[in-house]
Amino acid sequence: MIEQDLKPLEEKSIYVIREAKLKFKNVAALWSMGKDSTTMLALTRKAFLGKIPFPVIHIDNGIDFPETYAFREWLSKKWNFKVIVGRSEIKPDPMGSACCGRNKPETLKKLLEEYGFDALIVSIRRDEHGIRAKERYMSPRDRDFRWDYKNQPAELWDDYASKLDAKEHMRVHPLLDWNEIDVWRYIKREHIPVNPLYFSRNGFRYRSLGCTHCTVALKSNAKNVDDIIRELRTTRQEERSGRSMDKEHEAAMERLRALGYM
Amino acid sequence: MQVRNIALLGHKDHGKSTLIGRLLMQTGAATRVRIREAQEYSKRLGRGFEPAFILDSFTEERLNEMTYDTTRAEIKHRGMALAFIDVPGHEELIKNMISGASYGEVAVLLVSAKPDEGIRGQTKRHLFVARMLGIDRLIVAVNKMDTVNYDEERFRAIERGLRRFISAIGFDKRNVAFVPISAYDGENTVKRSARMRWYGGKPLVEMIYESAKKATPKATGMLRIAVQGTLPGGLVAGKIVSGSVRAGEMVAILPKGAAVKVRSITVNGAVVKVGNAGNNVALALAGTLPKEMRGTIISGISSRPIVTDRIRLRVFVTGAFGRAMSVKFNGIDIPCRKVRVLRVIDTTTGALRPGPPRLLDAVEADITLSRKVPVEGYAITPELGRFVLYNKGMFAGIGIIEPG
Repeated sequence: MIEQDLKPLEEKSIYVIREAKLKFKNVAALWSMGKDSTTMLALTRKAFLGKIPFPVIHIDNGIDFPETYAFREWLSKKWNFKVIVGRSEIKPDPMGSACCGRNKPETLKKLLEEYGFDALIVSIRRDEHGIRAKERYMSPRDRDFRWDYKNQPAELWDDYASKLDAKEHMRVHPLLDWNEIDVWRYIKREHIPVNPLYFSRNGFRYRSLGCTHCTVALKSNAKNVDDIIRELRTTRQEERSGRSMDKEHEAAMERLRALGYM
Repeated sequence: MQVRNIALLGHKDHGKSTLIGRLLMQTGAATRVRIREAQEYSKRLGRGFEPAFILDSFTEERLNEMTYDTTRAEIKHRGMALAFIDVPGHEELIKNMISGASYGEVAVLLVSAKPDEGIRGQTKRHLFVARMLGIDRLIVAVNKMDTVNYDEERFRAIERGLRRFISAIGFDKRNVAFVPISAYDGENTVKRSARMRWYGGKPLVEMIYESAKKATPKATGMLRIAVQGTLPGGLVAGKIVSGSVRAGEMVAILPKGAAVKVRSITVNGAVVKVGNAGNNVALALAGTLPKEMRGTIISGISSRPIVTDRIRLRVFVTGAFGRAMSVKFNGIDIPCRKVRVLRVIDTTTGALRPGPPRLLDAVEADITLSRKVPVEGYAITPELGRFVLYNKGMFAGIGIIEPG
């Protein structure tokens, strides 16, 4: 896994996060209490002198891990930011899984309409998946969350798409260039708190976090951030191999993203 | 690890995605799962293994054997990360090609040696665009050498066919190299090929590495901050695109030119005495600030860029070119008042062409904007010399200010 210089990554992310705030009227960020979106919040605090100047959304199906809920409460108090919890139903979903497939974006859609958010910061990374690698830093989605991936707006230099019709919202991806190991190296450098589920207990740890129904722990003895970085330097396993939802099926991920999956 | 961005260029089907896929496999950068997934999909389509599927992840890309949109994949070579930017080679997808190539520091141009392929329209057009974007290091990979029995003469013919065009559009020939490869078979990509002993040079990855090592971003040293806007709380946010700023110094806010004092500088959450190129800063400024900070440029008091509403641009046309255009400059939209076309260039030949500009032409034009902006030659400060053109909200082109 390639370890990139952290400084340019940090600068780019701060630039993109500030751009989202200064360009759009009503911004929110998605937070899963996972390492990527927590790192995004840490970067946001750097961009805005210690503050998180927009609300943070948790799409909650009610069956996240207890550690995840505890982390949500603890960090939102510690860093003093507003969390909006959108309650998502668990019901059969022919396109994905009942817990985290299509039902979560449905909840998010309602939230966006209710609050009128026109931009949403999402902490996806290119190295997670071939489909995510095709994303832009800023990418419009229509009211039905469709991603028109065959006709994405041009994005060159620091000029990001801006023309929005009222029904669209912009997805903003400040962590697009980061690799998994970069996120952990940054967590170490900045002492960013993370969900304890990432650390090994009884020989297993979670490498990528979903809810209790669709995430399995992987064999690992990594008990702290240093151990994780060491593990990632040698592993041949995919980051999302513990996530039953996408299971590396390009076509499945494409459908999910086109439908607005985060 | 330092990251260098490598833009892949070339006509459709000349092997850009296949090359990156092959390099990812040969250097161990692609995971087993990813390779297996590409293998299984190739088999499902009843084909031999397609290394391109490691990158081309959309169903349509695989079924139609073409890249729709740009993507990025990294390999590690001698302590440097080479981030390959894949782009579509199809003419109608040039907006996606430009989006990818604009991040390139070195270009790798793929030209197929296959008898009925060779130098084609997009081969030259992509070179033209890359040069315009300021990429000045180029490696031409003559691909599919396996289809011509690794014949040296075919390689030399393509080299001869491109050399003059490459020089004519402004590449320095010392910064251009030609390498024969077969991306599909992995010949001369990472290791020297036993099938092309007549080629005395290094394999492709090595050539890219050496070129990337020399591609160092230049800084003029003159202070230029591209202002993003005012943060909640009143500090001014911006990116230092060149030079450095010191706490306590006087600076000018352009285009109006108000002189203000820098009271304090915050970089990534910490208060510092000096902010340097590349830093995203938050500045406390003392003095009368313009009402709207977004889109302004902060410079030193005595080394200001030119402030003008009349610019001469070299434009690559990607949409409807005309008077109704607006330019996007440093984050703000500025309508054009007058557009006068001076010259039209056919980008597949480099020759002048009479008549009004058409899609994918290059145009030299004098443009009068509806307000003044601080500008500089693209080669001096890229951020102050580049414009994105829109026509009724649609992407219509990219324009740069050439020196002189």
